[in-house]
Amino acid sequence: MSNKKYHFLGKDFPRKDGIARVTGREVYPSDIYLTGMLHGRILRSPYPHARIKSIDFSEALSLGAVCLSFKNTPQKHFNLRQVSVPRATYKDWQVLTDHMRQVGDPFGAVAAETEELAARAAGAVKVEWEMLPSYMTIEQALAARKDLIHEKVYLEDREITIKSNIACTREVAEGDVDKGFKEADVIVENEFSTPRVYHCQLEPRSCVCRPEPDGGITLWPTTQALHNTRILIGDIFDIPLNKLNVVRITGGGHFGSGIHTNPVVLITVALALKSGKPVRIVQSREEDMYDHCRYPSRYTLKIGAKKDGTLVAGEMKASVDIGSHHIQALSYLGVLAGWWHSLYRMPNLKYEGVAVYTNKVPTCAMQGYGAPQVTFGVETTMNMLAERLGIDPIEIRIKNYVGLGEIFWGQGPTVRSLIHSDGVKELLHRGAELIGWKDRPDPKTQTGRFRKGIGMARGFHTSGTGAPVPGEVKDFTTAQVKVNEDGSIDILTALMDHGGGTLDAAAKLVAEEFGVPFEKVGISPADTRSTGYDVCTHATRGVYCGGGAVLEVAREAKKVLLEYASRILDAPVGSLKTKPDFKLGQGIIYVEGMPEKHITLAKAAQTAMNKDWGTAIAAGSIRKVNCPPAYTTYFVEVEVDMQTGRVEIKRVAAGSDAGVVINPTLARGQLHGGFYRGAGYALVEDTQYDEKTGNLRCKGLLTNYKMLGPEDLPDPEDFQVFFADTYEPTGPMGAKGIGEAALNPVPAAIALAIQNATGIYFTRLPILPETILKAVKEGRDHV
Amino acid sequence: MRIPIVLKVNGKEHSIEVKPNEILLNVLRDKLHLIGVKYGCGIGECGACTVILNGRAILSCQTLAVSAAGREITTIEGLVPEGNKELHPLQEAFIEEGAVQCGFCTPGMILSAKALVDKNPDPSNSAIKEAIRGNLCRCTGYINIIKAIKTGAEKIRERSKR
Ligand code: FES
Ligand code: FES
Repeated sequence: MSNKKYHFLGKDFPRKDGIARVTGREVYPSDIYLTGMLHGRILRSPYPHARIKSIDFSEALSLGAVCLSFKNTPQKHFNLRQVSVPRATYKDWQVLTDHMRQVGDPFGAVAAETEELAARAAGAVKVEWEMLPSYMTIEQALAARKDLIHEKVYLEDREITIKSNIACTREVAEGDVDKGFKEADVIVENEFSTPRVYHCQLEPRSCVCRPEPDGGITLWPTTQALHNTRILIGDIFDIPLNKLNVVRITGGGHFGSGIHTNPVVLITVALALKSGKPVRIVQSREEDMYDHCRYPSRYTLKIGAKKDGTLVAGEMKASVDIGSHHIQALSYLGVLAGWWHSLYRMPNLKYEGVAVYTNKVPTCAMQGYGAPQVTFGVETTMNMLAERLGIDPIEIRIKNYVGLGEIFWGQGPTVRSLIHSDGVKELLHRGAELIGWKDRPDPKTQTGRFRKGIGMARGFHTSGTGAPVPGEVKDFTTAQVKVNEDGSIDILTALMDHGGGTLDAAAKLVAEEFGVPFEKVGISPADTRSTGYDVCTHATRGVYCGGGAVLEVAREAKKVLLEYASRILDAPVGSLKTKPDFKLGQGIIYVEGMPEKHITLAKAAQTAMNKDWGTAIAAGSIRKVNCPPAYTTYFVEVEVDMQTGRVEIKRVAAGSDAGVVINPTLARGQLHGGFYRGAGYALVEDTQYDEKTGNLRCKGLLTNYKMLGPEDLPDPEDFQVFFADTYEPTGPMGAKGIGEAALNPVPAAIALAIQNATGIYFTRLPILPETILKAVKEGRDHV
Repeated sequence: MRIPIVLKVNGKEHSIEVKPNEILLNVLRDKLHLIGVKYGCGIGECGACTVILNGRAILSCQTLAVSAAGREITTIEGLVPEGNKELHPLQEAFIEEGAVQCGFCTPGMILSAKALVDKNPDPSNSAIKEAIRGNLCRCTGYINIIKAIKTGAEKIRERSKR
């Protein structure tokens, strides 16, 4: 790979939305204020499992509030997450119901002219409850025979009767595991578990909805998926899609919490339709914590290897406590197998996954979608195998990882594709050098209060979910690119940028293709009326799939432009080239070999307009037929205080194989952010429940829900980021993704650094100081 | 009951009436339309609502509007005087160093940084970490924010030499 031939890729430019964001002028959903707008409040269950016997709105109504309950919302079943195809979509959700399945489950809402009045009206609603037994653990849920959390759900349109609170199951098998394990010289088996982390995006999920005079609505929601939101709401509320406009608006962080349409969006719409007025709901932080969290995991993992370190067989059994609803647990069960299978070659493998309903907050995607969960166990197991076999942990990884020329199916068994670029060895070797891998301590000989440890883990994420044959997940992006009469270019697409620089990357690709200065490429405001479908910005697909689609459409628009230019310059299209002229601040089109024969983009576009030839414009829907692995490695140095159990992160060397890196500073920022969230996941973050009341133990308070702060992270000088020198041939100008890969191996790397310091393998996250102390005291080598 | 007060925000005086229990955050957003002051929790846990009050970074969701009457309030909108096309050096540095991702924490973060560098023109890593402890950023992992505050402080020092 070489960035030299590029004018813009691999170079830093001020991000296009930067000025708005540093001056406070960026508008987020919670910043939309409309004339005559009502403020909504959601009524939520105080009980983990209950049914509503009666509900009395009379006092709220007398205060002048608009009141809404399950009695006046559509009763259709649906799934909030719309990225899977219908045949793989379980539907157990309704806008509002009388059956409360968790503390915080909504049963109604009120709206009033001021927030204060809305709060008073909400407080005045009286409810009579019928208590049901609650199931706060997988075991309790599986033992239930009646009063289930869901009795009937739908798969596409087929009714499914739920048994023992099992939401769904999934099995995958390849080869012959029994035979495989017989061939193994060593077998390592453990149970791993990872916590229910709260996304804690800084802006609570919110929505503003305005009813329109034509019977339609306009929406400003917190979402990662404009079109899926539109299609779902159109279906539930029976609104024609051409009257239902969802506006792209920056969200204050998502991390996966906006792939599905948030319940607050549905309730805001229902209130707006009922009142005929614009309605705004901004959730409180506490409400937000009862709204969504990361899928936890608990799984046994058994892997067998030959003496030389070659893996021969693996078996994994996972049970997932999904909480009160299905936000696509079926695909989650599929990716658990996929991440595992695609980390290391395993000729014989067996996987069984089960998703179980409990009376807890519903779980959904969060950065990594199962990959950090699985990578934690797999990477820990790889180190255990390496130790047993006396092989260096890096060597055993190099021997077994799934790389160049191999088939992988990271996004689950239905999304298979071939690997065309692979920087894994480079990442491992450079990371090892930067951290001083050779000189890492031997845990057996360490003494003293403060012990140093160096840990390493690798991982990947798919760049999107494209594959040669469409699987269970939808994946395409629609875009429009046009050349304006001053030589500037507009990109129109429903693709979203959650802060990582996705849209800037798309603009750079277009600038590069047309040979125009970066400043000349603009990102148009987008909404669902003006754009075609885009599945959503998730699955690390933004640059590779979204940017890739924009680039392909730009090439079509360029063809039109060059055809106009060929008429003007009187030269065949095939002889025309473009390049930026930075002095002119313009792109120019010239005849190759005859540089004096040239014309600016502006002149070409103007001439085409004045001669009535038209605009150089193109639009299209593009699906990528691949989803290359974006590999990452983390090498981490920690210091463990053996007297307090405190872990201090000293140094980090983060390596990323993102193909051609488009925005270097922003890409490094992805690794910083991924590390921070991954380290919190490894060391402190978890939502725990009071099993009696069903309440979150943190009571919806951020200070009780512990996260790492700046003081817990290494100094900028001690955080090194480097990129592999690769080129992804199927990617837009050689690029692939980075986003989720930036987190996936982090918890494993930290756990293994702690192991290197203490000699103890930790199999449960988060690894709290008290857990470390206890294990040290008990002299364990594995806990 | 409504109390007439004068709020001095970004160099401008606003005569308004507020209830005794009205929170500064709501007044700034709802009455003065300063949406750069963000709501992230409303209970003093995230720092998104940070403004500068008489030179100190404070949480506007933990401050009664009446108690801010007559004192100098700076929000992100007032970081550079109105009509000035240039950005504040900290704002420039936040963009250059990649310290802005979703941007929701950015206004509060920049104001905490400004309150710091006004007092300590060459802050160390640990002084910066201390100053932004109350400002949650879920996106960036703080690394580029720390770099940006250093770069911004350096730009301010350079400019004051000129
Ligand atoms: S909104 Fe004030 S601290 Fe969170
Ligand atoms: S940039 Fe998103 S919270 Fe800081």
